[in-house]
Amino acid sequence: MLTTILRGALRQARRHPVYVGLDLLGLALGIGVFLSLALLVRYESSFNAGLPGVERLVRVDEHWTLAGIAPMEEADISFLALPFLRQDFPEIEDAARLLPSAFRTEQGGAFTKFDGYETDPSFFRVFGIALSRGVVDDALSRPDGLVLSEAAAMKAFGTRDILGRRVELNKAGVRSVHVVTGVMAPIHGPNLLARAEMIVPIPGEEARTRSCFLYWGSACGAIVLRLRTPEDIGAMRARLRDFVIRHASGADDDRVAIGPHPEKIYEMRLVPLRRLNFYDVGVVDSDDGVDRNVVNAIGLIGFLALVLACANTVNLATARAGLRAREVAVRKTLGATRRVLFVQFMGEALVVTAVAGIVGLVLCEILTPEIASLTGEGVTVSYGFVLAVLPVVVVVAGLASGFHPATILSGYRPAAVLAAARMPSGGRGAARLRNALVAGQFAIAIAIVICTLVIDRQTAFMRDADRGYSKSGLLIGQQVLGGDLEQERRMLDTLRAVPGVSAVGFGELEPAPHAMSRSDYKYAGPNGQVSIQMLFDRVGPGYFEVYRPRLLAGRWFDPERGQDEGPDADDLLKSKGSFNVVVNVKATTTLGFATPRQAIGQVLTADGLRARIIGVMDDMRFVSPREEVAPEIIFFDTLARVPFVDPIPAVRFQGVARAEMARRLDRAWASVRPELASNFQPADERMAELFVGDERRGHIFTVGAVVALLIACMGLYSLAAFSAIRRVHEIGIRKTLGASGGQITILLLRDFLRPVALACVLACPVAWVVMRGWLSGFEQRVPLSPLHFLVAVAAALLIAALTVLGQTVRVARAEPARALRAQ
Amino acid sequence: MLIDLSHIQRLYRSDEVETTALLDIHLGIEAGEFVAIMGPSGCGKSTLLNILGTIDRPTSGSYSFGGQELTELGEAALAAFRRENLGYVFQSFNLIDELTIEENIELALIYRRMPKAERRHRVAHAMDHVGIAHRARHYPSQLSGGQQQRAAIARAIVGEPRLILADEPTGNLDTENGAQVMDILQRLNDEGATIVMVTHSPSHADLAKRRVDMLDGQVVISVRNAI
Repeated sequence: MLTTILRGALRQARRHPVYVGLDLLGLALGIGVFLSLALLVRYESSFNAGLPGVERLVRVDEHWTLAGIAPMEEADISFLALPFLRQDFPEIEDAARLLPSAFRTEQGGAFTKFDGYETDPSFFRVFGIALSRGVVDDALSRPDGLVLSEAAAMKAFGTRDILGRRVELNKAGVRSVHVVTGVMAPIHGPNLLARAEMIVPIPGEEARTRSCFLYWGSACGAIVLRLRTPEDIGAMRARLRDFVIRHASGADDDRVAIGPHPEKIYEMRLVPLRRLNFYDVGVVDSDDGVDRNVVNAIGLIGFLALVLACANTVNLATARAGLRAREVAVRKTLGATRRVLFVQFMGEALVVTAVAGIVGLVLCEILTPEIASLTGEGVTVSYGFVLAVLPVVVVVAGLASGFHPATILSGYRPAAVLAAARMPSGGRGAARLRNALVAGQFAIAIAIVICTLVIDRQTAFMRDADRGYSKSGLLIGQQVLGGDLEQERRMLDTLRAVPGVSAVGFGELEPAPHAMSRSDYKYAGPNGQVSIQMLFDRVGPGYFEVYRPRLLAGRWFDPERGQDEGPDADDLLKSKGSFNVVVNVKATTTLGFATPRQAIGQVLTADGLRARIIGVMDDMRFVSPREEVAPEIIFFDTLARVPFVDPIPAVRFQGVARAEMARRLDRAWASVRPELASNFQPADERMAELFVGDERRGHIFTVGAVVALLIACMGLYSLAAFSAIRRVHEIGIRKTLGASGGQITILLLRDFLRPVALACVLACPVAWVVMRGWLSGFEQRVPLSPLHFLVAVAAALLIAALTVLGQTVRVARAEPARALRAQ
Repeated sequence: MLIDLSHIQRLYRSDEVETTALLDIHLGIEAGEFVAIMGPSGCGKSTLLNILGTIDRPTSGSYSFGGQELTELGEAALAAFRRENLGYVFQSFNLIDELTIEENIELALIYRRMPKAERRHRVAHAMDHVGIAHRARHYPSQLSGGQQQRAAIARAIVGEPRLILADEPTGNLDTENGAQVMDILQRLNDEGATIVMVTHSPSHADLAKRRVDMLDGQVVISVRNAI
């Protein structure tokens, strides 16, 4: 039987190499794309799976419900919570604080950056990370200890054998000498520590002075707990509210606590590390999360590619069934049963699918690195996974694509077939099925094309959208740490003097900000008192010229007016004094002003601090397009007496290439702060970090759209080629009756494109619903334009028309007399 | 003279073989004639009919129809010529399986861009003429051979062509149905239609006004029947 099956498959390939080739190629493409995208989905779903005992690891998040702004969850939390957590929850086996830090080594004035964490000595125990050099329990026990990843060791020293070496690290301009006490073994699979190159203990000075170690309301890093059992997660969750009430409450003037009723605005949440990748979408201060819906959509595209390929096979096989009708009739006449023939045809389908599976594996090898490079993810071909999945895919695809044709073929009645002059077509029912399959294939392809167009448009929009400030010619520098007024002035003067610089200004917020602080402000309006949380910013002279925000009402700060000078540290600490402020338009609408002009002259208060609104500017978007712009209050600092808190310099330049400008600024910066890397970056590049994940994953849709169209076109081409041959006789009749070649071409094109037109009707509403859902995840988004749909439909019809045009014209030009002889 | 064939030759060439289907044919047909062409299989009868119907081109020679030289016309002009002047009846009926009988007959008029109302009227008339009006909504596969051939004749006459070409119209029919088809053709000829029919049946050939015998691609005898 096996020999008969193999011989039958081979004979088909020899007799109809084009059809079998297209069939096989379509299946291989479907299987290849399915495997590659399955690998990507598996990769995204296996985040942190490589951490030993990951089911017992949780991150402690904080969730705020504050007046005037949308509720938000933060991955960073006050480190003040950790000793109390250890004390109150015996479920905690171990815990570590993770303070993300950027370290630099210096050589000849050049900096080499290493990402990493300042953390507790328990770090390696908590995450279950092994060291390839050094001892886990000792590695961070000394304050100057330093552990590098193997990759970082190679990058810094060219070897992994570096225990005991001394390394001078520069962290934001502060130098410290460390001794290498360990080298981390690589962690298998994607994980939250993948980018960690250097691990050092939290400096004692930092723990004593930094606000996130001292106050409940301040956060700068994450807390990760290793619990004793996975069930402890639920047990802990049930008691966290009481924990917050017990430890975070205090009087209104207690700056350490959150307030008398912290549980009303503050919540602690435990997030299993295994779920982190999908959970972190929309979580503030987390690494880039991945939208689960997008990953599901990628998986669906892979699955649909396979379905499209199977539909192709069914379509072609049923169309070609007539060609084998005589063979079936003769075999039955010679005694073959329907069951034997069914097994034979199913076997042939499985042989073709198996060959396609092998070609698909090769395609998967080629596609996966491309997908990894498109998405920026470290997905690789895992043979354990692929070789386990492939046989299942081959069998399922083989059965799915072979069953219907085998049923039709094995069901032919020998007497009818042998008596008929023409080969059986399967009747109108089979033709309808074939058209339905082509329509289904194109519907899927067109829906993916529409989604791709919308995603592409949205990602382009995210890059180009109006952000409320002038983006071109704008460079953002490193925070000027230190709070030294004289040094801040000198830095501004030095940067301003660089040829090509047209304006320089300080602000405490920047595009894609690293840190944000909010305060509660009250406004006593005609309808009673309104209380809102406002984002705090302080800006200096030159800021307006650098960012060029749009002023909607009132005026901007004037360094010459004394009353524009903002609060100093003492004013802010004690919430006192009267100051002029500028707010954004989001603040005025949240406060209930009908127009920006109405807000001018109104006073906001925060305890004893009075803020008089002198100007309203348009919203400046420094946050991700997914996030809502927050109400913002801006104070002014003339740099006459009050230093900034770690200001961020922004530079507007003209007439100089960007790279050259950055080099000039680096040199000027080094003359003032040689110990601090300047890191000047275009504002757009900073913002792009916020949506580059969306952009990269969007590329998968492009791949999906191309593959889906390709497979659908292969199906249409084969079907058209086959139909054209079947219809030669009919064409002969029509030409005999006087139809011209043009009329025949139009007739055939119309018939071939009818299922594609139906596909358009099916695809558009589905794509509309899906894309409306996707776009709703963005605060700043493109409208769902009919143009996307029209372009996709026109493209599909054009591609389909071009696919069948050759066949159509060839048949339309056939000599009628010859055509009439064709059967 | 409605048709004037002169020095018509038709060669078929494959990679290695050249076959002569027609050799120096001279044939004239007057309007209103009913000509039966006879001869053994492979003598060139159908090739001659195809050339008369312009669905095949002669390798050389001249074909004049109503004074118009057809061998010089292009594809589009020949299609237009067929639309306006010719009606076909085939041995295997050549109805389109996917269309109803009514639609099959209407097809000949659609290519003439005739208004729908007129098409409907003419189709109904043609179906009445051959007695298959009751099968208008049926598909060809639902009809007997005789009914299918009558439908094919209706399709041939619906455009009121100047020439009806019939290629063994009774070849696939039993005696009774064959006789009915010949009756219809005779009636059409009596009404003024010019008919050229290929047949293997001497009795059917005797019903035509003239009989042309062919052998090896040549016309060997052309005689008028005494009716």
